[in-house]
Amino acid sequence: MTETPNARPPADAHAPEGGEKIIEMAGLNKWFGDFHVLKDVDMSVNRGEVVVVIGPSGSGKSTLIRCINRLEEHQEGSITVDGTRLTDDVRNIDQIRRETGMVFQQFNLFPHLTVIDNVTLAPIRVRKWKRSKAEERAMYFLEKVGIPEQAKKYPGQLSGGQQQRVAIARALTMEPKVMLFDEPTSALDPEVIGEVLEVMVTLAKEGMTMVVVTHEMGFAREVGDRVIFMDAGQIVEVGPPEHFFENPQHERTRGFLSKIL
Amino acid sequence: MSMSTGMIQDRPPPPRERGPVAWARRNLFRGPVNTVVSLIVGYLVVAAVVGLVRWALDSPAWTQVWDNLKLLAAYRYPSDLLWRPIFAVGTILALMGIGAGAARRRGEGEIAGGVFWWFFGLVAVIAVVALLYWPSVRLPWTLAALAPLAALWLGRTVPAAGRLLGWLWPLGLIFVVFLLVGVGGDGPFRVVRTVEWGGFLLTLVLASVGIVVSFPLGVALALGRRSDLPVIKWFCIAVIELVRGAPLITWLFIASLMVPLLLNTSPDTVPALARALVAVTLFSAAYMAENVRGGLQGVPGGQGEAARALGLSGWQSMRLIVLPQALRSVIPAIVGQSIGLFKDTSLVFIVGLFDFFEIGRRVIPSQPASLQYTGGVLLELSVFMAIVYAFFAYRMSVASRQLEKRLGVGER
Ligand SMILES: Nc1ncnc2c1ncn2[C@@H]1O[C@H](COP(=O)(O)OP(=O)(O)O)[C@@H](O)[C@H]1O
Ligand SMILES: [Mg+2]
Repeated sequence: MTETPNARPPADAHAPEGGEKIIEMAGLNKWFGDFHVLKDVDMSVNRGEVVVVIGPSGSGKSTLIRCINRLEEHQEGSITVDGTRLTDDVRNIDQIRRETGMVFQQFNLFPHLTVIDNVTLAPIRVRKWKRSKAEERAMYFLEKVGIPEQAKKYPGQLSGGQQQRVAIARALTMEPKVMLFDEPTSALDPEVIGEVLEVMVTLAKEGMTMVVVTHEMGFAREVGDRVIFMDAGQIVEVGPPEHFFENPQHERTRGFLSKIL
Repeated sequence: MSMSTGMIQDRPPPPRERGPVAWARRNLFRGPVNTVVSLIVGYLVVAAVVGLVRWALDSPAWTQVWDNLKLLAAYRYPSDLLWRPIFAVGTILALMGIGAGAARRRGEGEIAGGVFWWFFGLVAVIAVVALLYWPSVRLPWTLAALAPLAALWLGRTVPAAGRLLGWLWPLGLIFVVFLLVGVGGDGPFRVVRTVEWGGFLLTLVLASVGIVVSFPLGVALALGRRSDLPVIKWFCIAVIELVRGAPLITWLFIASLMVPLLLNTSPDTVPALARALVAVTLFSAAYMAENVRGGLQGVPGGQGEAARALGLSGWQSMRLIVLPQALRSVIPAIVGQSIGLFKDTSLVFIVGLFDFFEIGRRVIPSQPASLQYTGGVLLELSVFMAIVYAFFAYRMSVASRQLEKRLGVGER
């Protein structure tokens, strides 16, 4: 957790030129109390890109993606999502949250609502869709994640893998422009990780813009456009997935990869 | 088969001994401690039953209860106007009936139906007794028993009735207030001042208004206590801690002195009933707030985060996601507290009100007819009152358990 001396200044993680930038972060700094958790983060994501964020526990990966939809508030720097600048203005925050879906490690389904109600709640309340339209779209996405037959059940009656797929359908039904995943498979039993990753791969291949915190390097290799390695609140190294398998530059990157691969 | 797969085949469990002797050995006399406890408890139960039977055979003065039922039920509420509170009972039961019918239509009628049939049974028994013995209230009680049946049928067959319940309840309650208070003139709709109210009628009014109003108030206080705005937060904390800091009886005293002072009027313009209602409601709200706060703390932070990440506003996420889960987890505490409030209304004699308990404790024993009895009178009245309190309290706790079970569906 303490800052290890770094030979180079932190890398920036800008998206390749020529794309349409949908997320832009510049000079981002965040503190929890006195603890400097994000340090001079520069990063951007193009529309349709799949960006995988890896790094040791406590390095600030969750905090980074939670800043994008203002679940955490940053103190310095700027974040722009799909042209909307994240400020204290509640309207901007609401606008950005409508356009970004998030999937959590702990699923965070609403246990008192059925699957279909979990999925249709926000479209009805936030997008103001008619219930019939919301349910039709919800069923479309539940079918897409492979569990339309569970629609009337409660989350507690589903397996972890099924719950996480419902959570993905819930986020997708809002028809977001960006999907954020925070270690979506880390709380799952090994035998159901595959079914969730499969859904995410399909999504990526269909062109969804995704920022994924995960250590599933197989996923990164299959659909990842760029991998970002974070350590101690900094972006240390950025590159295509093969770069991390073949010749990672940084000592800390090599140390980390040797543990997870 | 077990040979080929190498797996052990399923066997049925070893047989259990059946019959009463085996049951007793298993449940009452397993081990020395268990046996001793069973014997002691058994002796106490037998002694209590024998005592009860002996007292019951010794011709207790039940006539004291029977002759004073009107006092116990409504105190000085004018006898010729008793149809009004009876219709009030019928109205509320009818509303319950529509709710039970509508719930049945949706296929989830056990709880609403259970409550309805329980209270319908009570009213039906009273109606039969009235038909046999009380000519003056025969008709109202019969109507109060029959109208709810019609309402039940209405709720079951007409979908609109169920949908309109959200409007029917408030309208019905306003109607009930008009029934009890009256409208004006000298006729059947004349005003009955609240000093004339008493007995079980008063107990029900205090308890139901207290419970119904203190619930939203308590939720508001609990939310205020978690507010980001320091003024609201500290105000709510102050109210909660202050009100919980002193016994209800003190607040009844203070309310009866303070409310007129605060409103700057003479004590007589604010009826004692209103003052007692303020005290009872505030007192209950403070406890309700702490119950709700406990529930709020039990909801994982990820719930609110997931709701906000979906774009729900802070208020929507509280109302639709966090609060429902918080309330569900504290149903037992909330119902327990409501039962407590129902019984604690017996303290309002402090401010000069004659609730159910006070009628039995002081009003009836001081009547000329009662003075002929020596001893025993209070005992019969107390037993009767205990049964009535217990009947209602038990029904509340049954409903609470059913509710918990039903809402437990899909819980983690
Ligand atoms: N709400 C918080 N308050 C204080 N410290 C926090 C909070 N959330 C996270 N942290 C700290 O910030 C650091 C980064 O956390 P996090 O972003 O969750 O890391 P990661 O997701 O990479 O494991 C950790 O040291 C963690 O203890
Ligand atoms: Mg994390």
